Amino acid sequence: MASNKKYWKSVEELNENSSIVAKLRQNEFVEDLPADQFLGDKETLESSATSRRDFLKYVGFSTAAASLAACEGPVIKSIPYVVKPDDVTPGVADFYATSIANGEDFANILVKVREGRPIKIEPNKLAKGSGNTNARVQASVLSLYDNNRLKGPKANGKAIAWDAFDKEITAELNKLKASGEAIVFLTSTTASPSTNKIIQDFTALYGNVEQVVYDAVSESGALDAFEAIYGERALPDYDLSKADVIVSIDADFLADWQGGGFEVGYAKGRVPNHGKMSRHVQFESNMSLTGANADKRYMVKPSEQTQVLLNIYNAVTGNGTAKTTSVDAGLQKVVKQLKAAGSKAVVITGLKDKNAQLVALAINKAIQSEAVNVASPKYIRSGSDAKVSQLLANMKAGKVGALFIYDTNPAYTLNGFAEALKNVNLSIAFSMNEDETASVSKYVATIPHYLESWGDMSVKKGHYGLVQPTINPLFDTRQFQDTILKWIGSSQSYYDYVKAYWNTSILKGKSWNQALHDGIAVNASNAEVTTNEVNIAGAASALASSIKESALELSLYTKVSLGNGQMANNPWLQELPDPITRTTWDNYLLVSRVDAEANGLKNWTVSDGALNGDKVNVTVNGVTVKDVPVYIQPGQAKGSVGLALGYGRSKGINDNMSIGVNAYPFFQNFNTNQAVSIEKVEGVHEFACVQLHHTIMGREAEITKETTLADFVSKPKEEWNAKAHVSQDHQLVGIEKISLWEKFDDTIGTKFNLAIDLATCTGCATCIIACHAENNVAVVGKHEIRVSRDMHWLRIDRYYTSDMTVEKGKEEGIYGSAGFFDAQEHPSDDPEVTFQLVMCQHCDHAPCETVCPVAATSHGRQGQNQMAYNRCIGTRYCANNCPYKVRRFNWFKYFDNNEFDFNMNNDLGKMVLNPDVVVRSRGVMEKCSMCIQMTQATILKAKKEGRPVKDGEFQTACSNACSTGAIVFGDINDSESKITDAKEDDRTFHLLEFVGTRPNVFYQLDVRNTNEA
Amino acid sequence: MKSVLQHNTIQRFFLSSLTFILLLTTQLSAQDGDAKRGKGLFNANCAACHKLDKKLIGPALEGISERRSREWLIAWTKDNAALRASGDADAIAIFEEYNKMPMMAYPQLSDQDIDDIFAYTDNKPEAKPEVGVAIATSAAALGIDSLQVVKGKNIFNANCAACHKLDKKLIGPALGKMIDKRSEDWLKAWIKDNAALRASGDADAIAIFDEYNGSPMTAFPQLSDADIEAIIAYTSHADILSAKTATVASADEGLAKPPKSTAWMTYVVLFVLLLIALWIYFVSKNEFLKLVMTIALLLGAGYYGYLGMMSIGIDQGYKPIQPIAFSHKIHAGDNKIDCQYCHSSAKHSKTSGIPSANVCMNCHKSISEYNGPVTDEKSKAFYDGEIQKIYDAVGWDKDKLVYKENYEQKPIQWVRIHNLPDFAYYNHSQHVTVAGLKCQTCHGPVEEMEEVEQFAPLTMSWCLECHRKTELKVESNEYYAKIHEELSKKYGVEKVTVAQMGGLECGKCHY
Repeated sequence: MASNKKYWKSVEELNENSSIVAKLRQNEFVEDLPADQFLGDKETLESSATSRRDFLKYVGFSTAAASLAACEGPVIKSIPYVVKPDDVTPGVADFYATSIANGEDFANILVKVREGRPIKIEPNKLAKGSGNTNARVQASVLSLYDNNRLKGPKANGKAIAWDAFDKEITAELNKLKASGEAIVFLTSTTASPSTNKIIQDFTALYGNVEQVVYDAVSESGALDAFEAIYGERALPDYDLSKADVIVSIDADFLADWQGGGFEVGYAKGRVPNHGKMSRHVQFESNMSLTGANADKRYMVKPSEQTQVLLNIYNAVTGNGTAKTTSVDAGLQKVVKQLKAAGSKAVVITGLKDKNAQLVALAINKAIQSEAVNVASPKYIRSGSDAKVSQLLANMKAGKVGALFIYDTNPAYTLNGFAEALKNVNLSIAFSMNEDETASVSKYVATIPHYLESWGDMSVKKGHYGLVQPTINPLFDTRQFQDTILKWIGSSQSYYDYVKAYWNTSILKGKSWNQALHDGIAVNASNAEVTTNEVNIAGAASALASSIKESALELSLYTKVSLGNGQMANNPWLQELPDPITRTTWDNYLLVSRVDAEANGLKNWTVSDGALNGDKVNVTVNGVTVKDVPVYIQPGQAKGSVGLALGYGRSKGINDNMSIGVNAYPFFQNFNTNQAVSIEKVEGVHEFACVQLHHTIMGREAEITKETTLADFVSKPKEEWNAKAHVSQDHQLVGIEKISLWEKFDDTIGTKFNLAIDLATCTGCATCIIACHAENNVAVVGKHEIRVSRDMHWLRIDRYYTSDMTVEKGKEEGIYGSAGFFDAQEHPSDDPEVTFQLVMCQHCDHAPCETVCPVAATSHGRQGQNQMAYNRCIGTRYCANNCPYKVRRFNWFKYFDNNEFDFNMNNDLGKMVLNPDVVVRSRGVMEKCSMCIQMTQATILKAKKEGRPVKDGEFQTACSNACSTGAIVFGDINDSESKITDAKEDDRTFHLLEFVGTRPNVFYQLDVRNTNEA
Repeated sequence: MKSVLQHNTIQRFFLSSLTFILLLTTQLSAQDGDAKRGKGLFNANCAACHKLDKKLIGPALEGISERRSREWLIAWTKDNAALRASGDADAIAIFEEYNKMPMMAYPQLSDQDIDDIFAYTDNKPEAKPEVGVAIATSAAALGIDSLQVVKGKNIFNANCAACHKLDKKLIGPALGKMIDKRSEDWLKAWIKDNAALRASGDADAIAIFDEYNGSPMTAFPQLSDADIEAIIAYTSHADILSAKTATVASADEGLAKPPKSTAWMTYVVLFVLLLIALWIYFVSKNEFLKLVMTIALLLGAGYYGYLGMMSIGIDQGYKPIQPIAFSHKIHAGDNKIDCQYCHSSAKHSKTSGIPSANVCMNCHKSISEYNGPVTDEKSKAFYDGEIQKIYDAVGWDKDKLVYKENYEQKPIQWVRIHNLPDFAYYNHSQHVTVAGLKCQTCHGPVEEMEEVEQFAPLTMSWCLECHRKTELKVESNEYYAKIHEELSKKYGVEKVTVAQMGGLECGKCHY
C-alpha cells in the first residue's frame, strides 16, 4: 500500500539521529528571538550604561514623540490625468493580448494593466497550445521594471542621441556597402515573420548581409534532423495526450526541452480514465522535473543514453547494432511496451546530436506515432550551430565588417565570442541591459522590453501571435525593427510595417482589430508534408561510433527559473526554489551519493536547518571553473554530474543577483554532455535551500498520498485512499464525525474550495511566480531564505520515496532496524519523487484562528481564512499552531529598506505591485488569502451586472496560471461546478485529514502507472 | 494642512444655531408656507417666465393666492393642461390670454413646495431696486420690446449658446449686434437652412463657411420668424438685461455675512473656572474642596485625554486648501451638475476618480468667465483666474479657442481629502452601483460646500455601523436572488442587512 512508503524531503531526514530534524519538526521557527543576547547575561546588564531610569525616560520620550507625530497626518496628493485616455478607468484593470518571444520563451499572453502599468501576465486561453505561461513568462513583467535597464543608446560607452547615432551608423553602413564587406545579423530565434522581412529589406539595400540565428541553448541537432527529413528548419510538435507510452531519453519535456509547452498534452494522459493512463519512462542522468514525474526513471550516464536510444532503434526497426547497457532489463520491458502500444507510443530525446535526433524521428516513424506532428512544426528554435561556428571563424579572420547582435548575449553564452568580436570594426548590440555583449560592443542600440513593443511571431506553422505595447516606453529606447527601418531609409514605423505585413500576408482580409484583440491569428494550412530519404542507418552507425565514455560525465541543464540566464536580474526567478533541489539563489554541481563519497564530498545541515556543502574545481577540456558548490542529488546517475546554465552573469545586473557560476564555458561544441573532472577544494558553500523548512510536524506517512494504477483499478477506494479515523467510545469513527468545534452553516452562498490534482501537477512552479506577482509577496534574498524566512505563500513540497516499502521491509524482517534502508543500497540512490503544492488550507476548523490573541485571523462564510494584517501584533502563535506550516512572518520591512535591494526598493520596481493587495510591513503574519481580492472582484462584477457568478469565473492566481489544469478553484455550493465534481472524485483527500481541521483545499492523489507489461 | 476649527467650538456653534433654527421654524410653521424656501423654489422654477410685479412671459404672480384658490393653484401648477382639459374656465381664459402658449407642468413639486412658493409671492418683496421696472423704463426709452429680448435670450440659450457667444468667438462667430452686419432676411435664411443659402451661391454664406474650416452650422428650420426676430433683439440689446444681474447680485451680498461667533463665551466660562480653581488651591483653606477639585481635575483630564487620543487619525472636517478654489456649491449646487458627471469612475471602479482636466474642459471650453454672484473675498477676477488654472494645465488658448501646440501639460495636484489607510479596501462601485447609495450619504452635502471637507469620520466603527443597519438592495439583482432567499429564511427577516450578508468579515475589506 502506497501510504506505507517512507517519504523524506532531505537526506538529513534519513539520518535517524539528526537533532536538527527533530527540532525542525517541533518548531516553526528554528531560531528563537535573540532576547537572551541582552536579557540573559546578568553581568552585561549590570555594566550597561543605560540605567532603568534612563530606559523609562527613553520609553516616555519615544511614546510622546510617537503620539505627537501621529497627530499630524501627511498631506497626500491626488493627481489625475490632464487628458484621460478613453480606455482607462482608474482602479479598473484592462487586459491586452500580446505575445512574448524573447528567443527562449514563446507564448500568447494577456497582460493585466492598471492605470497604464502592466502588473501581471496571464495565459491567453484563446490560443490553445501556445497560450500557456511558465515561471519565466510570469516573471517577465518584473523585467520591464528592471532598474538596470539602459536608459538610452550608447556609443563607445557614452550616451548619445538617436539622431547622432543614426548618422554615425548610416555613414559606416555606406562605407561598408562601398567596400562590400560583410554585415551580419546575429539574432536569437525571433520567430517573427515581419522581422525576417525587414532583415531581407535591409539585405536588398546593402548587399552582403547575412543573418545568423543563435540560440544560447541550441536545438540545432533536432532542427538539422528535421530539416534533413522534412525540408524545413523547424521542430516537430508532440501531442503527448495521444501517447499511451512515452519514452524519453534525457528530454526534459516538462520544463525547457525544445522550448517546452508539452505539459498540457502530457497531463491529459496522467489521470486514469476508464482504467487507462499513459506510461512514462525516463532515461536520464540528472534528476529532471520530467524524470521526477515519470512512472519509471532509469539513471543512465549521458554516454550510455545514446546506446539506449540505439538499442530501442534496433529493437523497433531491426537496424543498427544493440550493445549491452546497465539498464538492459528495464529496457527490454520498455521496448516491449513500446511495440505493444505501436502508434500510441512516442520516443523523444534531448540528446543534442543530429544523428540521435534522426534516429528518434526514425523510431517514431517506424511505429507511426500519432503523437508526432510534422505537418505543423514549431518555429520557436531555429539556430544553427554550424553557421554560428562559421561566423566565429569569419570574425576571427576579420571577414566580418559589421555585426548586429539582437536579443542575444553571446559574450556570456558563446565561448570565444568576446575574443572574436575584437576583429569586427562595427559592432552594435541591440540590448535592454548593458550586459556582457553590450559592454564589449562599440554601439548599444537600446531596445524596449517586449511589453513596450510591437511585433509578431509564428510559434508554429499557421499559428501567429501579435505583440503590442501595454505601456509607453519607459526610457529612450527604440525597437530593433524601427532602427533597421530607419537605416534602410524607410519612413514607415514598425507598427505600420507589421500592420501592412499582417494585412497582406497573414490576415488576408480578416480584421486587424480582431487579431489585435485576440492576440492570435490562425491560418490552417493543408500543405502536404514532403519527406526526403535520409540514410538513417548511416546516422545510427555514426552515432554509435561517436559514443565516448568517460569516468565522470557532465550534463548541463537549464532550470525552470533562470533558463538560459537572460532574466538573471529578476529577483522573483532568483528566489524561486528549484523544484527538485529546492535551492534558491544558486547553481551547483549535482553529484550522486556514490561519486560524492568517492571524492570525499559532503553536504551537511547546520544547526539552524540550513544546508552547507563542499566546493570543487570543475574542469572540462582544459577549461576550469573554480569553487563550484556541490549538491548531493538523490537519483543522480552514478558517474555523472550536472550543472545549471544561466548563472554567474556579471554585467548589467545587480550585485546581489550576480550569483552562482557561469557554466557556459563547459558548453563546448554546443553539446550539453561533456567529459569532466572534479577536484575538491577548500571552503564551504552556504546554500539557501528551503527543503527542510516548514516541516509538517514530523508526520511521516499520511502527508501525501499516491497509489499505483493497478491498485487504483482493482482495489476498493478504502485501500488506496483510506479516510482518517479516530477512536470514540472505543469505536473507530470517521474524522468527519468528530469535532471540537461547532460546525457553522456553510451551505448558503458561495463557499470556495481549491482542488490540487497531484496526478497532473508537474511541479513546474509557475504558480509560485503567479502568486508572487498577484499578491505582492516580498523577495527576501539569499541570507533570509537560508535562515528559513522565505515569504512564498505557496510552496511545492518535493518528497522522495524509495522502493523499499514497509511491507517489503517486514517481509524481509529488517523493518525498524537500522539496516532497513541500507538493505540493498542507500534509499537516496534511486528515489521516486512526489510533488505537493501546499498553501494555506483555509481550514473550516482552523487551529490558527483560535490561538490569535487579537483575532487578527478569522473565518469568512465563503470559506476563506482571512488575515487582517493591520490587526496582527506578531505573536506568531498562529504559525506555531498551523499544522501545515503555511504562515509567513515579516521579519523585516522588505520595502524601502536598503538591506533588501530588490524590486520593492526602487521606484521602478514598485510599479509592478498590485494596487489591490496590501504590501505587508514588518512584524505581521501573512499567508495565502485564496486570492480574496480576485474572488471579491468577481463577485462585484456579477453584482454590477445583476447576475449569478458563472462556474469558471472564480479564479486564483495559481489556478489561472496552471497550464495543466491541476489547480481547480470554484464554488463548492454550486452543484454544477467543476470543483464539486473534483471533490466527489475517488482520489480526493485532505492534507493531514486526521488533524480534523476540515480544510477547504483538497488534493487528488497521484497515480503511478507501474504496469511494466 | 489647513488648520481645522476646534471641535468644541464647532459643536457649540451648531448647537446654538440648531436651537435658533428650531425656534424659528416653530414660529414659521404657523403660516401656510415657508417664504424663504419659496423664494428659492420660485427662482429655480418660475422666475424664467414669471415676475412678482410684472407680466413677463407669464402673468405677474404677486398676491396670486388672493385671486385664485389654493386648490386651483396647486392643480394648475402641477398640470395645467389637465386642468384645462377638465374644462376649468379660468384656466382656459389664461391660456387664451397668453396666445395659447402653455405653461410647463411641475408634477415634481409637492403641495408643500407650492404652498411655500405662494407664501413667497404673497409677501411683499423686500424693498430693493425694482429691476424689472428699471429694465422696462430703460427699454421703453430706447424703443425696445423688453419681452422680446427676454424671449430671445431664452431661445438663444436653448439653441445657439452651445456654439455662440455674444462678445466672443466660440465655435461659431460672436453674435452680438449681428443685425449691424447682416440683413434680417439674410439672417433668417441662414439660421433656417444655411446649407441651402450656401447652395444658392450667397457669397457671404460661403465666406463664413470657409472661414470656419468648412464645419457647417446646424440648421434650425423649427425656429419661426418671430423667434429669430427675438434672437436678433436679444443679440442687439442684451445689455439691458445685464443691469438686472448686477443689481440682484449686490442684493444677495447682504445675506452672505458670516454669523457672529459665540466662541468668546467659551473662553469666559473657562477663565472663570480657572479662577475658581486657583482660588480653591491658593486661597481657600477647605481641604475637602481641594480634594474634590483634584479628583474633578483628574477625571476631566482623563476624559479629555481619552477623547484626544481616540481622535488621533480621524480627520473629520479636514478641509485642505486646494490648488484651484473649486466650488462644489457652484457646480453641483447652483448648476446642478450630477456628481457622477465628473466623478465618473465611481460607478465602475474602486475610486470615484478625481476628474481629469479634459472633463473640466467639456464645459469650460465655452465658459471662460464667471458670471455668478461675487463676494468681497472672491471677485469675478478671482473666479476667472481659477478657471484660467485649468487652461494653464491643459494648454487652452481661451482667446483663439484652440489647444496650444506642443504645450507641456501640467497635471493639477489636488490634495486628497478622504484618506483611507492602505490596508482598508473600499470600492465605490459596490456602494454606488450595487447598493445605490447617494454620494451625500458618506460625503455630506457637498453641493452646499464652497470648499469640500471630510464629512464622515471614516473610522471602522462608522463603516460597520452602516453595514449593520443597512439592508441589501436586492431588487432586480439576480446575483442576490438565491442567497438572499436563503439568508432571510435563516435569519428570519424580510430583508437581510449588509452585516448578515457577511459585510462585517475582516477579509471583506482587509486584504
